[in-house]
Amino acid sequence: MITLNELQHDALVEIFNIGVGQAAASMSGIVNEEVTMSVPSISFLNRAEAAQLLGGKNKLDQLQRICGVSQHYEGAFQTEAILMFPEDKSLEIVRLMVGESVPLAELTEMEQEAMSEIGNIILNSCVGTLANLFQRELQGSLPVYHVGTSEEILSASGSASDSVVLMLHIDFILEMHQIHGYVAFILDVSALHDLKEQINLYLDKVMGQG
Amino acid sequence: MSMDANRTGLLEGVLAAVNLGAIVVDGDCRIVLWNRWMERYTGVPASETIGRDFFSLHEDLRGKRIDSAITQALRSNFPSVLSQTLNKSPFPLYADAAARSRDERMQQALAVTPVDVAGAGRHCLIQISDVSIAVGREKLLRDQAMVLRSQTFSDGLTGIANRRHFDVAIDKELRRAKRYGNALSLLMIDIDHFKPYNDHYGHQQGDQCLIKVASALSGMLQRSTDLLARYGGEEFAIILPDTDAQAAHMLAETVRARVIALDLPHDQSPGRLVTVSVGIATMNASDQYDVPGLINAADRALYAAKRAGRNCVQAHVTTPA
Amino acid sequence: MESPQTVLIVDDSRVSRLMARQYILGMHADWIIEEASTGEDALEKVKTFTPKLVLMDVNMPGMGGLAAAEQMRKLLPTAHISLLTANVQTATRNRATELGIGFMEKPITEARIAQLIAPLEARP
Repeated sequence: MITLNELQHDALVEIFNIGVGQAAASMSGIVNEEVTMSVPSISFLNRAEAAQLLGGKNKLDQLQRICGVSQHYEGAFQTEAILMFPEDKSLEIVRLMVGESVPLAELTEMEQEAMSEIGNIILNSCVGTLANLFQRELQGSLPVYHVGTSEEILSASGSASDSVVLMLHIDFILEMHQIHGYVAFILDVSALHDLKEQINLYLDKVMGQG
Repeated sequence: MSMDANRTGLLEGVLAAVNLGAIVVDGDCRIVLWNRWMERYTGVPASETIGRDFFSLHEDLRGKRIDSAITQALRSNFPSVLSQTLNKSPFPLYADAAARSRDERMQQALAVTPVDVAGAGRHCLIQISDVSIAVGREKLLRDQAMVLRSQTFSDGLTGIANRRHFDVAIDKELRRAKRYGNALSLLMIDIDHFKPYNDHYGHQQGDQCLIKVASALSGMLQRSTDLLARYGGEEFAIILPDTDAQAAHMLAETVRARVIALDLPHDQSPGRLVTVSVGIATMNASDQYDVPGLINAADRALYAAKRAGRNCVQAHVTTPA
Repeated sequence: MESPQTVLIVDDSRVSRLMARQYILGMHADWIIEEASTGEDALEKVKTFTPKLVLMDVNMPGMGGLAAAEQMRKLLPTAHISLLTANVQTATRNRATELGIGFMEKPITEARIAQLIAPLEARP
């Protein structure tokens, strides 16, 4: 399992905070209200732990269906990035952005598209800031909408079950509603190694030793 | 050589035949491709667009989501989607002349993708799909669901919307008003001296009074977006989207007059007839209200109407900071 | 000869604080820099330290940067205070203008830090 020291961890959190700040500004432009997004913490988990985090502790909760939006990135490194909201919050974000009240089961095609766009904005911002700061070029895919259990969504991309998941905890605040969601980056061993190297290069550069 | 020419001819033919809009801009946002579909539904020929700056042709899109999407495609190599729900009809596309005369734009879903062109740098492709049918179908389903749902949203006694319905609606309308910068007015209507009415004439007649007033009020609303709800025991509320203070005031006065016209005797009231007091609050594009704030303002206006002697209308006035 | 200026950097990210510190010291090795990781810590700090310039992050646990900046403005009426933040929305910018403080977008770069310390370099 990967371990980052305090400074490396801090740098990564700060980088993602800048990324979601941009996403929040875009979403604020859409709803014409103030939107605040932040990344209070990140963690590295294996796939099973990640599924449990999203689905809940007991087996029954883990069978709950949640919605997620995924995008595939490749180039300088490869990852599957997935935005997810745990079961009871899954639709609140769409409801707030879209302005309608619908339970998950009734989510229509049009609202799924809206959810895909929200995922597209947030994921591109997170990965974009990362790519910029590390000065690496990537290609991204269009968003794909999923409904399923957390385990299903995490394995949809066909990644190996021993892949590492870099999990971002995301706080999303719109007009007094606070929603907690997650962005998961599924990384294989070489991508992880790459990430750690890039963080070190970045730290060297900004700490003035580069 | 002729193979290439055939291939180019084939690709051009395909691009002209596909049932979706395709615009391509270069690294400087100049339009280099504007396909047959775009010509047909905008009414603008390619000869007038090729070579021109995209945003000078679409000034209203500058700074909007599509602007940042194009930038992201050209600079970061990332594609974006623009859903119809979150981005209403960005392009001036009309299904036919009739739609154009009604200024009824096509419902559009967009995808903005980077395209690397060998020897010419990175370009950006904007694909536009017509999703009008899907949207129409959903509206139908939504309306049907609404009918079903209204059964749990109506007040048992009067048949009009209940408090639950009101709570959901006011939240929705406030958001919508803020998003589009429209005015939103709220009327709070309270039957004057209702407790003495109930005590004097009995609860059965009290109920009848509520039913008659509710019926009269609901007959007055013109638009499907206006909502009359039973807010409390003898209190009603009317949500008026896209309505400014002046129009709200006019309607409030009409409400007041209409209740008097019902001619319901009330021995316990000074005017000997059942009357109402009305409080109005209006949120304009420049105001910053939340739901409790708006209701509070209307309530304060209602209270002022009571203090002013009842059977009258008062509007909430924001005191300058 | 100019006396060394005093700067307070407030940010919950250690990396951000380090970066800002590095860039400032790179331009003025003798300046005195103090740090705080929350709004509350910052307000505590200024009881014993008087900065000419305060750089304030917005998204922090606890009272947050905007509330802290508002208090700071009252405690240090002549100091230069600027938000340095990932929260780039108009609402935040407007709030900064209302409070009479500056606003600078992250990521922190040498050029942006140079702009922020410029008022301290001007001839009195």
